Amino acid sequence: MSRLGLYAAALMALLSTTVHCQDSGGTHRAEGGRPTGMAMRGNVLWLADSPPARGDGPPRSGMGGMGGMGGMGGDRSGPPVKRLWLRAGADPQKSGFAREDTEATVDMTLVTPQGKPEGEPLPPAEEGKKNLSFEMPTQGYYRLYHTTRKLQGDTLAIAVAKAEVTNFSHGATEEERSVALTAPRVLEAAPIEIVREKNPGEKLSFQLKSGEEQAFVVLQKGLPLLGARVRFVSHDGWTKEAVSDEQGRVSFQIVRDYFPSWDDFQKRFKATYLVIAEASAAESGRFKDQPYTNVRYQATLGGTYYPSPDDYRSYAWGLGLGFAFLLFCGTAVYLYRRRRVKPFQEVRFDEKH
Amino acid sequence: MRSIRDAVNQVHFNRFRFWFQLAAFVLFVYGGYLAIDLGSRLPFFSCGYNQEGRAGVCYLLPLQHQLGRPWPMLFTAAGLSILTGLGIFVLWFIFLNKGWCGFVCPLGTLQDWLTALRRGLGIRYAKYSHGQFKQMTKVKYVLLALTLLIPLGIGGGLWSHDLSPPFCLICPARMILPAFTGDFSQFTIDFSSKTAVVMTALGMMVTALFVVGSFVKKRFFCFICPMSALHYLFSKLALFRLKKDGDKCTRCGDCYRVCDLEIKEIADEVGKRDIMTDDCTLCLKCVASCPEEGALKATFAGITIFESTEAGFVRRMNKGHQP
Repeated sequence: MSRLGLYAAALMALLSTTVHCQDSGGTHRAEGGRPTGMAMRGNVLWLADSPPARGDGPPRSGMGGMGGMGGMGGDRSGPPVKRLWLRAGADPQKSGFAREDTEATVDMTLVTPQGKPEGEPLPPAEEGKKNLSFEMPTQGYYRLYHTTRKLQGDTLAIAVAKAEVTNFSHGATEEERSVALTAPRVLEAAPIEIVREKNPGEKLSFQLKSGEEQAFVVLQKGLPLLGARVRFVSHDGWTKEAVSDEQGRVSFQIVRDYFPSWDDFQKRFKATYLVIAEASAAESGRFKDQPYTNVRYQATLGGTYYPSPDDYRSYAWGLGLGFAFLLFCGTAVYLYRRRRVKPFQEVRFDEKH
Repeated sequence: MRSIRDAVNQVHFNRFRFWFQLAAFVLFVYGGYLAIDLGSRLPFFSCGYNQEGRAGVCYLLPLQHQLGRPWPMLFTAAGLSILTGLGIFVLWFIFLNKGWCGFVCPLGTLQDWLTALRRGLGIRYAKYSHGQFKQMTKVKYVLLALTLLIPLGIGGGLWSHDLSPPFCLICPARMILPAFTGDFSQFTIDFSSKTAVVMTALGMMVTALFVVGSFVKKRFFCFICPMSALHYLFSKLALFRLKKDGDKCTRCGDCYRVCDLEIKEIADEVGKRDIMTDDCTLCLKCVASCPEEGALKATFAGITIFESTEAGFVRRMNKGHQP
């Protein structure tokens, strides 16, 4: 087994509901309603752009990242290098490093803007390092898929941790940008994945703000997955669950959960969210020569969001100050001019004297 | 050829300039809706904060961002982008020289419209005394120095990033031009930090000052514009020039009286051929108002494209009157 297998997940929760898959309609369907035993209490694997000890929060130097995340490293004279950490746990702040699991198999696929659509294997991490790193020589979206497969009884657990990293700089030509923006962001070979839906009018420098609505699409082998249970976990651990519709779509409002004292407030505070999607299917087969009768799928996607400008910007003060100063300047000019007006004074000469 | 030249020299100049400015205003404030993008090195205030409608970006915005990079980065290959950016800016600039200010700059056009409004209301305009003029003309160089030095300090970690980009935060174009596309988001005070509060409050105050100042004083903001100072550094390279033949000048003072920037040298200087000063916006109103044949002329790459003529002067003066 590859040394990359050391990044595999720990135990996952067992499912108690049977879920069927149907391919004929172009949409996968997860049936069985909302089983109580399907709680996502297992160890969730996800890709973050910061290690656990470092945490998130205040902005760091660097460019681009996961949905605008910083943390770009590498030699400044060469292409930017992105580092990602595989973390275990469903809380963006508290989750630690993923533990080694020798029973699981791991595949890591990197899809680059100019590379093959099916991606290429990512070289293993350097000895002694816990982060996965890759260069980003071209503009566009880079996607890393970390897929683990593990047999748990008669169930095959497949977990796909995905990270989408943006690399857009001011130096890009218009053609490079348009090619990068219109490139597909889906890996058809992925057993399951979450795709962040772009918002209308979204630009390269897009930053998700708290209070905004953000939609995600759950796909299985490139097709929308109906009935997947999707959980959104905010930076502070607030969660909300929803079930994907026929388009595989689910939408969440990004809550505001950043409430520091005003002196500590930072408008560039980078908060991390985590989206987890789960579904299962009654599929049978063999894995490592062992039979299984069920497959449980789990997909994760991390991202970042920032405080809304509405939290720290005031129209009332802006317009109030502007109008007050306008009035002040106007009045000052008027009074200045009025003071300089010299009223007409007739001068009479007394010719007698 | 002669008839074309006569037609140009006798053109109703103010009318031509008004339509030219209006077209440029529409292009650079709304051109983005037509997917027009002329890059981010433009030598005038096509404000980058007008995110939807802009057809290009004023060079001061990327320049401040580039200078605000960490110091070690300025001395790597990434630092070359500053030089290439400056090169592109100069290429744009030498085409029209400071004519970008007089004919294209949306903020300059707005000032002319405020002047027209004041004139329509019958309110008299303000003038600087010679002493005030001499003092005011230095302000733009101070602002240019601050526009370049503050980002360097930010890149060196001396000051907060909330100060970036310093000039844009106080430039009235940031507030006013996006408003023409329905974006009023810049009319706010940012309370996220003390620096942000100060800079956004200053921005609102400068905007108010811009409106009042431009209403009573022609081209009020151009006296203190750091872009104008940056232009002047490269004006010797420009193709578009304002020239004067001192031998033909009678020092009648018409050119000085129509000059929005109150440049006295245009009337007094009879020795120099290149008459453009650092305050000049190359609006060419002086050429249009000069009655002396060939005393003032605008040239492009040495070719005269518009010059003062007696016939042109008479025609413009008789505008609206039956001969």
